[in-house]
Amino acid sequence: MADHRPDASPAASLSGLTKRFPGFQLGPLDLVLEPGTVLALVGPNGAGKTTTLNCMAGLVVPDEGGTEVFGAPVRPDRAEYRRDIGYVGEENGFFQGWTAARNLKFLSELLPGWSKDRANRFVQRFALPLDKPVNKLSRGNKTKLALVAALAHGPRLLLLDEPTAGLDPVVRSEVLDVLWEITEDGEHAVLYSTHVLSDISRLADELAFLRDGRLVLRTGRDELSESWRRVSFRLANEGIELTGVVEHRRVRAEHQIITREAETTLQQLAELGAEAVEVSRMTVDEIAVQILKEGHHVARAES
Amino acid sequence: MWHALKAELAYFRPWLLGGLGIAAGVVLLLSVLMRLANEGEGPPGFVVAMFPIMAGMVVSFIAGGLRVEERRARLLLSGTITPRQLAWVNVLLPVCFVALSALALAPLLGLATLVAGKLEPSALRIAFGFMVQFWAYAQLGPLAQESTAARRERRGRAALVGWAFFAGVILVLAGSQFFLHSVHVQLAQVTVVIATMVVAATLYQGRTDFTR
Repeated sequence: MADHRPDASPAASLSGLTKRFPGFQLGPLDLVLEPGTVLALVGPNGAGKTTTLNCMAGLVVPDEGGTEVFGAPVRPDRAEYRRDIGYVGEENGFFQGWTAARNLKFLSELLPGWSKDRANRFVQRFALPLDKPVNKLSRGNKTKLALVAALAHGPRLLLLDEPTAGLDPVVRSEVLDVLWEITEDGEHAVLYSTHVLSDISRLADELAFLRDGRLVLRTGRDELSESWRRVSFRLANEGIELTGVVEHRRVRAEHQIITREAETTLQQLAELGAEAVEVSRMTVDEIAVQILKEGHHVARAES
Repeated sequence: MWHALKAELAYFRPWLLGGLGIAAGVVLLLSVLMRLANEGEGPPGFVVAMFPIMAGMVVSFIAGGLRVEERRARLLLSGTITPRQLAWVNVLLPVCFVALSALALAPLLGLATLVAGKLEPSALRIAFGFMVQFWAYAQLGPLAQESTAARRERRGRAALVGWAFFAGVILVLAGSQFFLHSVHVQLAQVTVVIATMVVAATLYQGRTDFTR
């Protein structure tokens, strides 16, 4: 990524972003993404991840609120902000009957800042077959083509909608490596939506959990893995009340809990005289599942 | 904008050439059959004129559908093209297809003359009449698309305007069938078609969803 345009503005900021559809409302969303950050937008299908990214790319006009990219307002009728955005969606609008090479050539004349060297570097890196028509490319190669197209003009903000969905493990790993390298310089930011939870621990610095169009939690990855624990203990007391517990299973005196406030919970267990206390760490993926399952509960607790 | 328009034309060139090839084959076949059946009498001018221009119209419909299916707006709006420019690409494509097929008419008329011996002298005027008609039909494609998009996006007034205009154009075209030979009617049709383009382009610019 050769373009270095110093800017004090956040890479992206969403303020009160709202989009209504029949039976569904996204937002209002408030979110700031600083340069150098990889933010994973996590949520189940229909949570509003794609709509959020489309609004940020200027492909969908919100009903209320708005988005800025490096200080420039995102409006479909203004093209200036687009030089800073690289967008990979499920559908990327390529000429399906043209080869990958011809599509890239077309884009090189359409996107200001396009670097042929940069494009070639990513083509080689991904081993992208350039001579095949797009409609003959596999899902993985289509994603690679979309990534090359999104990266070759040197954007500072990458918006990726499920970039690793349907990719085989080798390609997925390669894609994640590239994304990780891009943000290494601290000037580029990546916002990607995913429900492949294993991607989170590999790439994301921060996580934003969307559920039913609402942002239920935004947190740092490390912060998350420090505060959540799985605890098992023995306690004969009936009706114990512990802070931060999101899941509680009990068989007679044996308890198994998941807590999002490990320190407080363990302190309370000590005060209650719990025995055979065993604490185990949880992976970010496991925590993410819990948060999505308990979305409303966590949102209430956070507020 | 011109870059995008050129690319779209290049992309759909095989379809257009294929369509014109089929039209040429049909015209040629009809010319031979009519000559055999009518003792050397060539086909009426409208027969020669109709098929190639119709090919342009059909390709314009195919292009409209494929561009939506391939989500072309996503690609074009990733660069410097604004929705306003893209709106004009959308409505200029049918013009280009019909105009290119009308251009291809010239050699076909020559070919048909060669095979059939002679053509009605009014063939060119009739060809122009057909061009305007089919251009109008081709232009109804983007208008219908935008009226549907407006309804989907709950832009009630825009959808109403779009569909009302659509119905109006159909009525005008139907009414003008009785006066096709009148130059004034043909010019009126051209005016209506240009207005259709403007309405379709304006509706596109008012979109709130450019993902399709």
